[in-house]
Amino acid sequence: MRQAGVAAAFALLDPPLVVSTSHPWRVIAPDPVPGHTDCVNPRDRLRAVGRRVTDPAEALAQEAAERVIDLVVNALDVNELAARVDLNALLSRVDLDVLLKKVDVDALLDQVDLNALLARVDLKPLLDRVDVNDIVQQIDMDALVEKTDLAAVIASSTGGMTTEALDAVRSGAVGLDRFVDRWVRRVIRPKQPWPAAPPALLTAQAES
Amino acid sequence: MSARPPQAALVSLQGHYAGSVSRLAAYSIDLVVSTAVFVLGLAAISWGVRIVTGHDVSWNRSNIVVAVIFVIWQFVYFGYCWAVSGRTPGMALLGIRVVRADGRVLPPKQGVLRSLVFPLSFLLFGLGFLGILVQHEHRALHDLIAGSAVVYSWDARAARLRFLARQAELPEADIPSPVGVRTDTSS
Repeated sequence: MRQAGVAAAFALLDPPLVVSTSHPWRVIAPDPVPGHTDCVNPRDRLRAVGRRVTDPAEALAQEAAERVIDLVVNALDVNELAARVDLNALLSRVDLDVLLKKVDVDALLDQVDLNALLARVDLKPLLDRVDVNDIVQQIDMDALVEKTDLAAVIASSTGGMTTEALDAVRSGAVGLDRFVDRWVRRVIRPKQPWPAAPPALLTAQAES
Repeated sequence: MSARPPQAALVSLQGHYAGSVSRLAAYSIDLVVSTAVFVLGLAAISWGVRIVTGHDVSWNRSNIVVAVIFVIWQFVYFGYCWAVSGRTPGMALLGIRVVRADGRVLPPKQGVLRSLVFPLSFLLFGLGFLGILVQHEHRALHDLIAGSAVVYSWDARAARLRFLARQAELPEADIPSPVGVRTDTSS
């Protein structure tokens, strides 16, 4: 009679004070339909008791583990640790080809804002380091004139019988100068090579 | 005109000491030009005297006055040109110019001095000019005295480009290829 009264009191509690499926009173609550038999697992009571012990222990262990990890991490000298890592050995084991094949460069470049990037680049010091004279000297002007419309531009802008005749006379005279000079040097056989130009002009040529 | 192409080796000759042929050719042209101007000047004077006085004036080559005026005119012609621009008309045509011995621009005083000592090179059958051939800086006697030198000043590179441009404009069949003249430009 007393047992039935307690069961009724628990059944009236709303919300229940304990989990309904796990509380022993709920498990063995009397069947509302008289005469019907329920399958009651006799080990459910033991399981419920075990959970009451393990749940707080698990939480306690979690807290303890977090605390220990914090302590360990704070105690670690990351720089010292990094210094001990042999990056060469590590990188030698990395297959960069395979790694790069997996990278979608197009997608990566799509995300790059080139305008913003270029706006941050200071081109002046970059250009100061470029030797323009060296670049210009590498240009084959003869081939350029022959293969482009530059020939027509030069011919139309500087052409003319007078210029043509002047070029011919001068180049002819220079050719004869060199011919005579070659023969004179063969005859007198100078011990030292003759200077090609006055010092100031040689310096200017070297600088240009 | 099928000119010999200014070769790549000549391109770098700008500023180098000028040779004997260029200098002789330039002097010859200057001699013709200065004499022509002198003769024209005498003709103009004769015409002016005839207009004003009505008398004909005849200039005789053996006349000492004419000879002296001609010599003075030569000094003026060369001295003025060298002092002002470092080149005479003949030198400009051949693309050479007078500079200081160290290669810098010739001061006017040195230009005048060069014209004054220039006749010294004619002495002893022109031995003074021998320096153009055998002196290591191609300097004649008057160059050594005046502290000057003669160098190439024309832009052979531009001439070469003009030559190549003309060749590029011509059809392939029209390009003459005389024996001994290099037509390839790959030097």
